[in-house]
Amino acid sequence: MTFDFVEPVVFALLSIGVIAGGVAVVMLNRITAAALFMAFTFLSMAGMFVLLGAETIAAFQVLIYVGAITVLILFGVMFTKFSDAPRALFFQRQAPLAAVFVAAVAIPVTLFSFSFTSAPPRPGGGDLPALATSVFTDFAFPFEIASVLLLAAMVGAIVLTRRDDPEEAAMRRRR
Amino acid sequence: MPAGPFGIDPLIWAPLRLVIAVALALFLVLNGALLQIYLERKIQAIIQDRLGPYHVGPWGLLQTFADALKLISKEDVRAAATDGWFFVAAPALVFCPMLASWVVLPFAQDIVGANLNIGLLYLTTLGSMTVLGIVIAGWASNNKYALVGGLRSAGQLISYEIPQILALVSVALVVGSLSMIDITRSQAGPFVNVLILPFSFVLYFIAALAETNRTPFDLPEAESELVAGWLTEYSGMRWGTMLALSEYGNVTVVCAIVTTLWFGGWQGPGVEAIPLLGVLWFTLKVYGFIVLMMWIRATLPRLRIDQLMSFCWKGLIPMALVNILVVAVLALAFPTTKIPIAIASWVLVILFAAGVPFVQRRRLATLRARARASAAPAVRAAS
Repeated sequence: MTFDFVEPVVFALLSIGVIAGGVAVVMLNRITAAALFMAFTFLSMAGMFVLLGAETIAAFQVLIYVGAITVLILFGVMFTKFSDAPRALFFQRQAPLAAVFVAAVAIPVTLFSFSFTSAPPRPGGGDLPALATSVFTDFAFPFEIASVLLLAAMVGAIVLTRRDDPEEAAMRRRR
Repeated sequence: MPAGPFGIDPLIWAPLRLVIAVALALFLVLNGALLQIYLERKIQAIIQDRLGPYHVGPWGLLQTFADALKLISKEDVRAAATDGWFFVAAPALVFCPMLASWVVLPFAQDIVGANLNIGLLYLTTLGSMTVLGIVIAGWASNNKYALVGGLRSAGQLISYEIPQILALVSVALVVGSLSMIDITRSQAGPFVNVLILPFSFVLYFIAALAETNRTPFDLPEAESELVAGWLTEYSGMRWGTMLALSEYGNVTVVCAIVTTLWFGGWQGPGVEAIPLLGVLWFTLKVYGFIVLMMWIRATLPRLRIDQLMSFCWKGLIPMALVNILVVAVLALAFPTTKIPIAIASWVLVILFAAGVPFVQRRRLATLRARARASAAPAVRAAS
């Protein structure tokens, strides 16, 4: 008994989820709804990763993009000025131009993707050991560089947003 | 025919065990919430020298059932200014990740929904998804208390996720696997992980109290400041799903993680002979931790929001990083034995317990110095 038909069906559903979520992010006027659909797109992408046998990447996708980045965007939206009136954004009035751009990018990418002929992923075993080995051997240097870069970005953000404690400043002035 | 667990063909057992796990999860979430609310009331009543619920049923056991019936039969109230389907979707967004976590919790030898090889990562991932539902709930309520409560909750959950994951990493380092089954199997016999890694258990348990919004970290719903936080506009079964089912379900999930990672999961006397006994041991251990959490709630006061954040970023995260460093170095230096790790971890626990009074005294001293410094000019002007 085989279930060969399940995988294409799941893939089709996930693809519809990714594309519909992406379209909704661009088309919706309400920014919170767009953020929520972005989370939906990320979740569907995670499903794609699971389908490819990369469960760890899927878990990190959800952990970082759904759990952290979408929440960060929602924070940003909530702390910025917000008006109830729905506005048509600049890009939403340029449908023909958008269609041309999408076609210009999507058609070469699709054609290029058909040129891949690697073996299909094997189910079972998981990708964790392979991922860990490659990150800590072949890609150890880029990995460390990326973490140093993130640290620098974090320190920079703290320095930029830090305000002196008024009480402390007053105490220093008094001395 | 190859015999699987319990003498059942593996081809039938694979879907069957998923069905069993989902049924168990639903049963335990729905009834667990009722039981835990009852326990919460009774335990607090005992500690505060009251009677607690005692009218409905024997010892008031049916009180929470009556409450649940009341919640279900309540009118579905939605304020006019709430934000459409966001408001409706938020309870589901909080509830679904919690329910999905139960797939990888091993109740007994073979009673587990799926043996994911990244089970631990999967659980932390689902834990992080709850934040989205809470932020959406706070936003969609269109109410300043709900919004502040939602943002507080999001800040708290995102912050305390870090020490939580860092504490889990040390267990994964020692066991060498992220699968909940392998982690349980590695603790056969009396030497459970808490004897090897007590410090990461302490860190995880503190962070888990914050992740599940339990006192002393229940700021998102600090009723003296925020009405009911992000739950303010919710009533009826929406409130029931969010608070009763999701919160208590999350408490159960967290206690199940603690049980599996540090206390041997389903393992206990007599499990080899009767595998189903594992369910009993597992449930007993989980409820032990739930009772501990309720005891803490009845004992400790609530933290202030700045204390909460500084405790996480200046206290828990550095300690968790030190813990990982020590465990990783010792695991690399002594690959065959776990005794050095155990010694180091116990030393860290003792240092932590001994360090708390010191830190407290220094904090009080700085506070007093600051109060004196700000009061001094006024005194001089008066004299």
